[in-house]
Amino acid sequence: MISQELKKVILTELNLDDFDLQDETIAPEVPGWDSLNHVNIILAVEKSFNIKFKSYEVLRMKNVGDLQKLVDLKTGK
Amino acid sequence: MSNIQMDDSKTLWQRWQRNAQRNPDREAIVHWVAGEEPTRWTYKNLIETAKKYSVKIKEAGIKKGDVCAIVMHHNPMFYPLYLGISRAGALPAVLAYPNPRLHPDKFRQGIEGMAQRSGLDYILTERELDPIIHPLIEKPGSTIRSVFFPLEWDIKKDIDPNADAEIEQIALSVKETDPILLQHSSGTTGLQKPVVLSHRAILNHVKNLGSALKLSEKDKIASWLPLYHDFGLIACFQIPLAYGITTIQINPFEWVLAPILLLEVITKEKATLTCLPNFAYNVLAEKIHDEELSEISLASLRAVINGAEPIRHDSHQKFVEKFKKYGFNPLALSCLYGMAEVTLSLTIHEPGKPIKELAVDRNELSRGAMKLADENSVARICVSSGRLIDGCSARIVDESRKDIADGLVGEVAVKSVSMFDGYRNYPEKTAEVVENGWYYSGDYGFRYKDEFYIIGRKKDLIIVAGKNIYPEDIEDAMNQVEGVIPGRVISFGEEDEQMGTEQIAVVAETKAEDDKEKNTLRMDILKAGMAIDVNIHKVYLVPPRWLIKSSAGKPSRKANKERIISREDKQVWSR
Repeated sequence: MISQELKKVILTELNLDDFDLQDETIAPEVPGWDSLNHVNIILAVEKSFNIKFKSYEVLRMKNVGDLQKLVDLKTGK
Repeated sequence: MSNIQMDDSKTLWQRWQRNAQRNPDREAIVHWVAGEEPTRWTYKNLIETAKKYSVKIKEAGIKKGDVCAIVMHHNPMFYPLYLGISRAGALPAVLAYPNPRLHPDKFRQGIEGMAQRSGLDYILTERELDPIIHPLIEKPGSTIRSVFFPLEWDIKKDIDPNADAEIEQIALSVKETDPILLQHSSGTTGLQKPVVLSHRAILNHVKNLGSALKLSEKDKIASWLPLYHDFGLIACFQIPLAYGITTIQINPFEWVLAPILLLEVITKEKATLTCLPNFAYNVLAEKIHDEELSEISLASLRAVINGAEPIRHDSHQKFVEKFKKYGFNPLALSCLYGMAEVTLSLTIHEPGKPIKELAVDRNELSRGAMKLADENSVARICVSSGRLIDGCSARIVDESRKDIADGLVGEVAVKSVSMFDGYRNYPEKTAEVVENGWYYSGDYGFRYKDEFYIIGRKKDLIIVAGKNIYPEDIEDAMNQVEGVIPGRVISFGEEDEQMGTEQIAVVAETKAEDDKEKNTLRMDILKAGMAIDVNIHKVYLVPPRWLIKSSAGKPSRKANKERIISREDKQVWSR
């Protein structure tokens, strides 16, 4: 399940009020989340949670659920 | 280090074969996939496998002159397939694999539009696209005769010598003036312009651009650029293969997720050249953490060539600042300017020398004259795109296509030994842009001390991260959105300094009044953009009759863009 905190970071970066982000949501389904913006979203998540991703970790993410899992792992949740 | 001498090959197939005979074990293509061992095609293996594909191509009924659209993911078999099509005398045309956000109907319409315009004969693709593409074959009037899945072809068996000999005869019958490939411009239904290039055009270009770049036997080109784009196809695929050097091909989809891949490839393979659209300099400089770069060395690079979108001084600065401590030589910065209609490049900055930059008076420039900035000026830094390459001529002309003096801003007109043979099946479009052998590019710029500075476009084309997007396509999609007054919408490119590229803005007239309605409409506009695989970055909503009309009675993109950007207007809602 996507945490409110992660959802807020993503939606703020995309300038969206709301969007139903689920574990299986993929970037192309979310308005504004294109390849050019992807890197900005990742950096915003890193900044907000005070964590750092490795490039290969980013490459392996298939959906928002994978991003959540990685955030949880890095923040020790 | 000796520069490579070109031989007298008349076709690309002949050149590729000769390269394989001269250096059979040299790596032709290193196919790179993140986290895996790369696939390494030597020239010998590549040619042998291409021969097998050419037999399959013939068995499939594909004949000399037929157009074969290739729609495939990053796959190591793409390369011999491409060469095999060429050997059989058919014309490969690489198309983009559809992004998941692109609506299947829009993808189908795009293919259909291209088929009608360019006469696509066959689609070579992957099985998963069959349900989308297949209905096109049955459609009345369709030019597409069949869909094939070449990744499923069995090419393990030895080649039948008779079939091989027959195809070699076909390859020998191809003349240097025959077309080798079809390159599609961006755009959806009806807006694509299929550029036809001959063997001679490409061989001339390879020679002239290669010589300007001083290509040598030791050069290796690393690229993440997609092969449906001329910068990727010509600069990073055709040129190295025709020269007989190595190209390393990275998956574009992987690169956008992990830009460090390119730097790893350069480090591990000791690549000497790479080509980037401007935005990539910003991404590489600002979006990768230093701690990931500890093993990166860019010392092998002797040229990083900026092209495919306007060149920005700040982007170069950021790149140099970031990477000089990783061995990057600032004199390796290079750039080119050109267009698919002259195969790729008209001008290039010779690597190894500093790129010329001019601080000019912004106001004078907007009035059409280059004046060096003084203490009273608001300055704009114009980055030179270099000098003409051999075999090219250029003029700067006014609106009546008359030459104007150096330092004055006008349209760039081009003549080249690598000129295209016109837009396929589109003589009226060709006639619009070609007159007496000169191609009128629609780009604005000036010449100063034999260097060319490109500063804008006559056409309303939007270039986002090196990708050309026609505003008409966006406006067509927006006109279907409920709440937008039909015919009362424009789109344009808005500078994004942080990303070093343009982003798409839409201005739409609407009767929506409160914030809630406007936010809902904005979401619908964003979704309509997604359906055509376009990311709308900013939405401006304005009341009815707000948009300024041109003399033709349609909303003017230029006037409304200026109005939106230059003035605060309480009637404009934006987000």
